[in-house]
Amino acid sequence: MRIMQRVQRFSVNARPAGVLLLVVTLLFLSGCAGSPTLKSPDRLGIPEKVTLDDVPFHGQRDYQCGPASLAMVLNASGIDADVDTLIPQVFLPEREGSVQPEMLATLRRYERVPFVIDSNFEALLREIANDHPVIVMQNLSLPAWPVWHYAVAIGYDMDARELILHSGMEAKTRTSFGTFDNTWARSERWAVVALPPGELPDSISRHRAMSAIADFERVNDPQTALPSWRALTERWPSMAMGWFALGNAEYAAGDPEAAANAFREATEQDASLAVAWLNLGLTLEDMGDNDAAREALNQSATLPSEWQAQAQRALEGLPSE
Amino acid sequence: MMKKLARVLSPLLIACLVLGSLPVAAAPASPTEGGLVSTQDALSADQVQADRERIDDVLSRQDVQDQLLAQGVDPADVRDRVDALSDQEVHDMADRLDDMPAGASVVGALFAVFVILLVTDILGLTDVFPFTR
Repeated sequence: MRIMQRVQRFSVNARPAGVLLLVVTLLFLSGCAGSPTLKSPDRLGIPEKVTLDDVPFHGQRDYQCGPASLAMVLNASGIDADVDTLIPQVFLPEREGSVQPEMLATLRRYERVPFVIDSNFEALLREIANDHPVIVMQNLSLPAWPVWHYAVAIGYDMDARELILHSGMEAKTRTSFGTFDNTWARSERWAVVALPPGELPDSISRHRAMSAIADFERVNDPQTALPSWRALTERWPSMAMGWFALGNAEYAAGDPEAAANAFREATEQDASLAVAWLNLGLTLEDMGDNDAAREALNQSATLPSEWQAQAQRALEGLPSE
Repeated sequence: MMKKLARVLSPLLIACLVLGSLPVAAAPASPTEGGLVSTQDALSADQVQADRERIDDVLSRQDVQDQLLAQGVDPADVRDRVDALSDQEVHDMADRLDDMPAGASVVGALFAVFVILLVTDILGLTDVFPFTR
């Protein structure tokens, strides 16, 4: 009898315990859902509230959030591209979706340089504040049942802690920083800005910027990429490879003198960059300055590098003094 | 069947490309005709590797082209799409296109886990159903 009573008392106590367990579990779960910690707008150097009103909205049809997002950023950048043209360029019918590399590739085809910016919230806000709409990839669902989705971030409100997106069928939809960051984190915070040649994003490492421009140049041509190389060397004047790339673009654009200057700058920033000495030598030879060419090729031929043999051959090809 | 064919053809293709590139490699590069070293070449670490990668690129681009066709891309578009990819992207796609997330936002298949996602939506962990906002 006494035992029964004890069991009964125990089961009475079990309910609050169960509720407590649930609450603790939920608290733990929502602990992950905490919104990202951000510096104040003052310290970030950005306004409290931004909405890029000039980014047009294209609602997605079926599963085509990829082409729709591309159309929005391209239109905002002054390029006349519509969703119907973009679909056969980026959509994978069997997958009913679009993959990230092809998103970047399509932007290149429209003469915009796609930069994958730094993967953090502050970088995202800073780009929006700089008037750059940002294509973001989210997994709206849980990793076990993914719902991958592209949207365009066009604004934010630091007071309300909300991000403003053109997403799916909704224009200017607002999502809390916390929820957005949870869904965005699942794509490793993939974010892309599409900029005209000559512009660079704020939040990007110099090496990522360099390879973004090199990839753009390969698909288009050096002349088109020239303003981007100029911007790169302006931002990071100590980057020898940037000067080297600028030299190649100047040469291809038909300005050997500017090319020689850029190659020379590359060798001044890094005297051991044999390939810059080599191209400097070849350019000077092209300009008919054999003495200066010999000097540069000599440098390249003495530096141990994979270009040594080529420099040696070029040196032998020069008319003797 | 295609796989088997590809296994036989790939080494042959490699051999053809290597043999084809031999005369070029053997001939002394004349500076006036050979031109400058391109930025893309200079960025890839060393020359032997760069040559090997070039052959690899040709094969990878072909591979990605086939995969895109299999995914239902119009044959008229496939060439331009592959051409716009960087070498690194081509390699990534050749290796793991099937595992790549494809942005699509398909909700249809998810009703089985409706309740779970409803709760996680309310918690702000997910953002599947617009009405939870």
